[in-house]
Amino acid sequence: MIDGFRRVGRRLAVGVRRVLRVAKWESARASGGVDRRTLAAGVALLLVAGGVVGVGVATGVAGLDVDQDVYRVGVDAESPYAEAIEDAPSLRPVPAGSASLGDSADAVVVTVVRPGSGDDGSIDAADVDEVVVRASDTQKGEAAAASVREAVASHNERLMRAEPNQTAAFPVVVTLRYVGRTTGVDDGATLGGSNGGSDGGSTDGSDAGTGGGDDGSDGGDGTSGGEGGDSTGDAGSVGSGADSDDDGGFAVPSIGGAAFGANTVGSPGSITPPFPFTSLLLAFAFLVPMNFLIQAYGSSILDERTNRRGEPLLVTPLSPAEIVAGKTLPYAAAAAVVTSLIALLVGGGALSVVAVAPVAATFLGATFVGAMFARSFKELTFVTVGVSVLLTTYAFVPAIFTNVTPVALVSPLTLVVFDLQGEAVSAGEVLFSTAPMAVGAALLFGLGLGVYREEDMFSQKPVTRKFLDALAVRLSAVPVGGAVGGGLLDRDRLRALGSVAFLTACTIPFVFVAELLAVAVLFALPVTVSIPVLLVTIAFIEEVAKSVGLYAGFERGVFERTDRVALAVGLASGTGFFLAEKATAVVQAVGLTDLFLGRAAFADVAGLSGLPPLALAALFFAPLVLHATATSVAALGARRGRTAYALALTLATLGHAAYNVGVVSLG
Amino acid sequence: MDSRLTIAGRELAGLRAEKTILLAIGIQLFIAMFSSFLVVGLVSMYDPGALDGAEIEVAAAGDAVDDLERAAAEVPGASVTPYEDAGAARSAFERNAADAVVVTSRAESGRVSAAVTAPDATVETTVIVVQLRELLRTYELNERDARASSLEESPLPLPDRSDTSPYFTFTYTVLIPLLVFLPVFISGSLIVDSITEELDQGTMELLRVAPVTLAEIVDGKAAAAIGIAPGQALLWLLLLEANGTSVANVGPILALMTALTTLVVSVAVGIAAVAPDRQAAQLLYSVAVLVLFGGATAMAGGPANAVARLAIDSADATTGVLVVAYAAIAAAAYLGVRRVVAVEGFGR
Repeated sequence: MIDGFRRVGRRLAVGVRRVLRVAKWESARASGGVDRRTLAAGVALLLVAGGVVGVGVATGVAGLDVDQDVYRVGVDAESPYAEAIEDAPSLRPVPAGSASLGDSADAVVVTVVRPGSGDDGSIDAADVDEVVVRASDTQKGEAAAASVREAVASHNERLMRAEPNQTAAFPVVVTLRYVGRTTGVDDGATLGGSNGGSDGGSTDGSDAGTGGGDDGSDGGDGTSGGEGGDSTGDAGSVGSGADSDDDGGFAVPSIGGAAFGANTVGSPGSITPPFPFTSLLLAFAFLVPMNFLIQAYGSSILDERTNRRGEPLLVTPLSPAEIVAGKTLPYAAAAAVVTSLIALLVGGGALSVVAVAPVAATFLGATFVGAMFARSFKELTFVTVGVSVLLTTYAFVPAIFTNVTPVALVSPLTLVVFDLQGEAVSAGEVLFSTAPMAVGAALLFGLGLGVYREEDMFSQKPVTRKFLDALAVRLSAVPVGGAVGGGLLDRDRLRALGSVAFLTACTIPFVFVAELLAVAVLFALPVTVSIPVLLVTIAFIEEVAKSVGLYAGFERGVFERTDRVALAVGLASGTGFFLAEKATAVVQAVGLTDLFLGRAAFADVAGLSGLPPLALAALFFAPLVLHATATSVAALGARRGRTAYALALTLATLGHAAYNVGVVSLG
Repeated sequence: MDSRLTIAGRELAGLRAEKTILLAIGIQLFIAMFSSFLVVGLVSMYDPGALDGAEIEVAAAGDAVDDLERAAAEVPGASVTPYEDAGAARSAFERNAADAVVVTSRAESGRVSAAVTAPDATVETTVIVVQLRELLRTYELNERDARASSLEESPLPLPDRSDTSPYFTFTYTVLIPLLVFLPVFISGSLIVDSITEELDQGTMELLRVAPVTLAEIVDGKAAAAIGIAPGQALLWLLLLEANGTSVANVGPILALMTALTTLVVSVAVGIAAVAPDRQAAQLLYSVAVLVLFGGATAMAGGPANAVARLAIDSADATTGVLVVAYAAIAAAAYLGVRRVVAVEGFGR
């Protein structure tokens, strides 16, 4: 026993030493590639650009206004509005006299001056009685008119800030506080609904006056507390001071307001909606260096494959896994260092680093697969761009809905946003957020390792064929049993079918990712559109995941092209998928299935406790029957070739989607 | 001339064989969808007026209820219900009869303090807070008007509100420039790969043995890379047109983007000629493009702004001059790089 441990330990030590040796070689090679001259050139470029932009900003030529001068507004030079228009970057003033609407101007500012004023030659704001913006009758004209209004508002804001009498300039001070409702009763008067509780509205003036007076003194305490920041306790006292009957409902103020940061105090213009914009931008900063990293990493992997450069390494005692681990290690280390640095810079903690780690691993894993499949540098460039666009989307889009829905947690970036907001996250949430991506990264490396062999590395096969190769490597032939009955439990056959089931089970994280991406993208659409589209998309994703391995097996000649084998592997694949799907009960732990879209995505049938056990069992095994049947159909098509496979896949998808519709309407 | 066309044809054949150009267009489509999704999502969060009929119900109490009601009448999407006192208003909020509570009190200094309570942690919170801000700003304007005599400078009267789509400006100032410039970067990246690959695999040596000059090789490769860019941009512009977004000055936009492609391709050829391998070349190219484009965008009248102004039909004589200037810079850069490469060869 101890001997066994020692042997494993020794082998591990040898493996680690080998990986480290490859890593050392790789980092020497990589730093040799980016030599001092390149580095110097890059730094020089950055310095020049920084200098030019700096000078530009300093002299006022530069400004990051992409919408500069997009609307032309006619305004007289002596009009008090000329300055406001002039100051707005998106507006370009043109002389009102010569401006013709729709041709050389999109909007014209017309001022009506009080009679008698302006005799002294100049018109100022106090003389303006009324102002009208005439805009051309196009979308552009409307947009221009809206911009003029904004420009005037911000001009006023600037004027007021310069006023000596700030009390008159900003007469309203707002203290904004977020409070969770403690009761679940809904009178129906929320967004869009008409008011149901207007019975309190019939207060006459004197009543409001005295009530308000009372409240004023008390409210003074409450709002002044807002300046200190601890307002929840004071808020309760305001309630009790004004009306002792009602304070019961308000006695338990939520501390959850912290989700949106501190309470805000200031003029109405300074109120900002509770959207984690800054945290999101900062979280995005973690993704930027990944793009550079994978470019270097992809080059390094593809370099091995051109001119048979990797061959000497392949014939050494090193296993492909050790070579790949060694080549990846320096880049993973670089990612860790850069991530930690960024975390330090933007004020993130260890959680940020932990959350970004699986993202970085997936970036590297996907690039590895891409570099193993690509035929040329050009192809690799597009694969790299595709990888970074897709992964950035997958990481970023759900994070926008941080604070809104638990679906956001599918992206580890959401954890970063939480971390930057200083919010506590449970271990379960961290696991839910990072585990699928980590497993996905591992599987990607596994997929790429399958073709890290001589015949695939140095040949020019199309990407799709290499992909099928990588899948087929994991399969083994299903022996056609001679004796009927005895063949079913044959060991070889079981192993072969087991590998089919395992391969399909391994697609689960990718199915998961694809489905969640679909949910995230369709989230914004109205439910009537998004649900049907989602159901078909999900059915398609799942059917492809279950049958693409089988197609690879038939195409690569691993499986015999008979209906019997097709049925057998179809059943095995469907079963593997079913088992893996059931194993991902983690999803439900976070309450993702509470969301209607989530329920549609994961076909969870909730609220069936009233049904008899037999029906429950039937419902539990219904997905198994569905997966096995649909995949067998697809497998029968796959054995006959590409066109038949496409047809069978469509058929299977439609059947699956019909089943999904049934489940959703049942749930 | 023939040999250049042959080289260009060979480049394009390579792209076709690998179907990379399809992948490139797919990626561009995805980026466009992604950025539209982002902006539509963000704008709807910040400007709930863009959503249909978002209306919030505010429970108000305190001294200034009447004034708040008057302000609410001016703001679409917010209505104020007065309550006797703060407690009643808050219990209405608790019962979900109101979306937010505003309790106002006049301080001795003459200021009005408004204690605002908004619900916590729902997507509606953002909508509610945006509407509340609109309401309170209108209220602030009214209050300021009442105190106009104490102000040295009176604020300008605001024009009436007008209906406009918040996506309009975004489409012209962000989406169109983005779609027009994506092919530019792709072309540059392609030529870096094409040259470094030839050098790496030793096929550049074979080309050199053939009866073509280095300048002709550069010409052929650049022609292929530059040639595929305007088509992609035109595709996007036509797609937008079909979608109901009319784009003006298509010709000048394509001329501008072709000039920029030439510029970026020249930079890419230069980098590929001096960098030791693909890894270094791509890295340098990314940095260079980032710097070049970032710097140009930061300048007044940068290429992104020029495209936006051309597309929205607000171009003037300076925009025309700018297009010509970009074309001249691009031609000069290309001829310069071509000359250097022809004399020095691809270094290594």
